[in-house]
Amino acid sequence: MTDDKDVLRDVWFGRIPTCFTLYQDEITEREAEPYYLLLPRISYLTLVTDKVKKHFQKVMRQEEVSEIWFEYEGTPLKWHYPIGLLFDLHASNTALPWSITVHFKNFPEKDLLHCHSKDVIEAHFMACIKEADALKHKSQVINEMQKKDHKQLWMGLQNDKFEQFWAINRKLMEYPPEDNGFRYIPFRIYQATTERPFIQKLFRPLASGGQLHTLGDLLKDVCPSAITPEDGEQKTQVMIHGIEPMLETPIQWLSEHMSYPDNFLHISIIPRPTD
Amino acid sequence: VSCSMAGEEDFFLEEKRFKQYCEDFVKHSQQIGDGWEWRTSKDLGDGYLSKTHFQVRNRHIPPDLEEKNNDNTEPTLFAHVEEPLDDSQAAGAGSTEEVVRYEYHVLYSSSYQVPVLYFRACFLDGRPLTLDEVWGSVHASYQACLQEGPWDTITQQEHPILGQPFFVLHPCRTNEFISAVLGGSQKHHRHTNYIILWLSTVGPVVGLNLPLSYAKLAPEQSTNTDL
Repeated sequence: MTDDKDVLRDVWFGRIPTCFTLYQDEITEREAEPYYLLLPRISYLTLVTDKVKKHFQKVMRQEEVSEIWFEYEGTPLKWHYPIGLLFDLHASNTALPWSITVHFKNFPEKDLLHCHSKDVIEAHFMACIKEADALKHKSQVINEMQKKDHKQLWMGLQNDKFEQFWAINRKLMEYPPEDNGFRYIPFRIYQATTERPFIQKLFRPLASGGQLHTLGDLLKDVCPSAITPEDGEQKTQVMIHGIEPMLETPIQWLSEHMSYPDNFLHISIIPRPTD
Repeated sequence: VSCSMAGEEDFFLEEKRFKQYCEDFVKHSQQIGDGWEWRTSKDLGDGYLSKTHFQVRNRHIPPDLEEKNNDNTEPTLFAHVEEPLDDSQAAGAGSTEEVVRYEYHVLYSSSYQVPVLYFRACFLDGRPLTLDEVWGSVHASYQACLQEGPWDTITQQEHPILGQPFFVLHPCRTNEFISAVLGGSQKHHRHTNYIILWLSTVGPVVGLNLPLSYAKLAPEQSTNTDL
């Protein structure tokens, strides 16, 4: 029987084999070979692609290099979304490796946030953690922590240090013994087909009678089209970290065990493959 | 950054209240031609306040964003930046005027239960302003605060309804100053339009000013339900 803590490790160490190819219109001095990398699902593109940048910059002239950005089949990839979310949302039912195109010109100002330094990633990551704690604990736990604890969360992520990260993060996963869960669950539901980037609402992990709300309850409340079968057939998949959790799973458990390091449950609703 | 709670009680804004205050706000804006409108999203029925205005600013000098005479009834479409007249300017030499299009949105954050100010700015040719250019245009008296930790105050974020990059004034500290004013024993403040109070405080930081007539929006004129 798998221990719950093993789930935390499986989530942390999930990887996606990826092939990076330079956009054909980029100007190079010699041919650019593709670059292969195992991407951590829980991290961010601009945090883990220094080697990709260096690899392609070697064949380009300095003046041709501006801010790097990534694209998959014509869609600019939002670096501020965790990698695993991007993959589940855009490419989960396609063959591996994931093929990402690398750009150094024509940054799509209307689609992507700028990411000029690691500080920007850190600020974004910490802002998500703080928002998650505002929902879970009215910000009490995150505000009680010292700056060095906040730094440890970020360093843990940046350096892929599970123990270092969870030494602090476990406090964000606790709740008062008299409650049976968080105040509200930090979650976002994504569908590639909508203009709205995600759905986020207040949702309690427990019903008024004390029963645990499930993933199915959350979807019914917030995104009913995701689980209403049309013609008796389920046309969509509900995916978190590359798997489809059972809809009966308590949302409190999912929040504690399958959140990303930013403490949010990022849930993808994608078309079910019709093979 | 830690948010210390200032007042004895925390004055949280519920979403229904937010919508009501916005409705009253838009009504007044329409009366005085201030250009605000409410936009509803088609899929979920939530929405936001929106206003677009143009600002002429001098390129090389950090603009002073005090507008002349806000208490008028004309639509404030072009806000001219006041500049001390010196010889070079009188002669029109050495300065470039640029028109910047500012778009302001007021959204509701259910996580923090406060309104949040989103904005974006671009030149007329469509080129968006960078974060540095935006910081550079921040009112001089706010620049000192922003020097401390700019990353905590104005950041670029994804607009939660439109999905496009906007700049955002961080909502973390909103409760501090709002609670200080609206909380406590001053009961007659409880029905003040939260949006007007909040926007008149945070707006000027990013070049958004409210004509004084908004202050005249008396509590009786707004539809209020008891707390």
